[in-house]
Amino acid sequence: MVSLSDKAWSPYVAGALIGLLQIPAFLLMDTGLGASSSFVKIAGHAALTFDPAVSDGSYFSKYVTSSKYVWQTALVIGIALGAFLSMRLSNARREHISPVWKEAMGVSSPLSRYLLAFLGGFILLFGARLAGGCTSGHGLTGLAQLAVSSSIVVPSIFAGGIATALVFTRRF
Amino acid sequence: MGFLLIVLLGLSMGLIFGVALEKSRVFEPGMILGQMRLQNFTMVKVFVSAIVTGLMVLAFLHGFEFVTLHPKALSVAAQIVGGGLIGVGMVVAGACPGTVFAQIGAGYKDAWVILAGGLLGALVYGYALPLFAPYIRSAEKMTYADITGLPFWLLALGLAALLFIGLTLLEKGRPSASEVGAEFDGRGCGPRS
Repeated sequence: MVSLSDKAWSPYVAGALIGLLQIPAFLLMDTGLGASSSFVKIAGHAALTFDPAVSDGSYFSKYVTSSKYVWQTALVIGIALGAFLSMRLSNARREHISPVWKEAMGVSSPLSRYLLAFLGGFILLFGARLAGGCTSGHGLTGLAQLAVSSSIVVPSIFAGGIATALVFTRRF
Repeated sequence: MGFLLIVLLGLSMGLIFGVALEKSRVFEPGMILGQMRLQNFTMVKVFVSAIVTGLMVLAFLHGFEFVTLHPKALSVAAQIVGGGLIGVGMVVAGACPGTVFAQIGAGYKDAWVILAGGLLGALVYGYALPLFAPYIRSAEKMTYADITGLPFWLLALGLAALLFIGLTLLEKGRPSASEVGAEFDGRGCGPRS
């Protein structure tokens, strides 16, 4: 029915597979799927290495010590490996920058795209840490736990995203 | 669990996660932009079906007391602003913190720059937090099961059923086959194009 050599699967099959990953996450790691804490872990290790003023009681300390974030960092590296494998097995190699940026935003030079990518990444993670989680941690895991906090974050994500897209992009 | 086992578990779960993100095409910037423009609903389809499965899994695992839940603490103002920023960042970056890694794996070079920007964002947040921490009021960690007093499994299965009906209707209105695009990246599809 589904094969690794397919270029695309039904979004429902892929989504259900992602949801099933909550089983090992909760049973073996006592946590749910998430991604943005791994950024804090890596940034925190950098801060602790290069800045002696970063104390043990800082925002970073729990992220560099708890094994939960070792698991999550391995998870996001695994995501890259899985996507690479899936792309190769389906022979879905593509351009280095998606043509959508030119079509939807008129961004045609790599440099302007890199500047926007950097800015976007910064806003994304600053927002995710302020909210206490991202599309995975609040979206997938938080809503599956019926968390009140996540029911505020997820509509806010869509509100911010839809408003930005309607102002800065055109139909592609 | 030892360090090596934890890493292996994370890597193997991530491998499946990454395959699912790539095969669903939701990692494509065109899919994220298309969703936020409301011209392509692939992202909502993947997202909601993962939530439906997650609700059923947790209804079972929590209902039979195999696991405890870990809802994140409520902090209304921070979560409205933070969520809004995530949305802005998703459109400007064309990714969310998890799909950045799928983009890297699939070969998008600008995803490495999103990662760099994200690491700086997390670093700056960690340093800046003491400045605005007093204004973030963090209430307790609660779920709708706590608020209503109903059993978690009942509410979870009820919501899963509602979302399932929603997905069925969505598929009727926006068949998935019409939302992939000739190059599997969400471009040139959706209504009126």
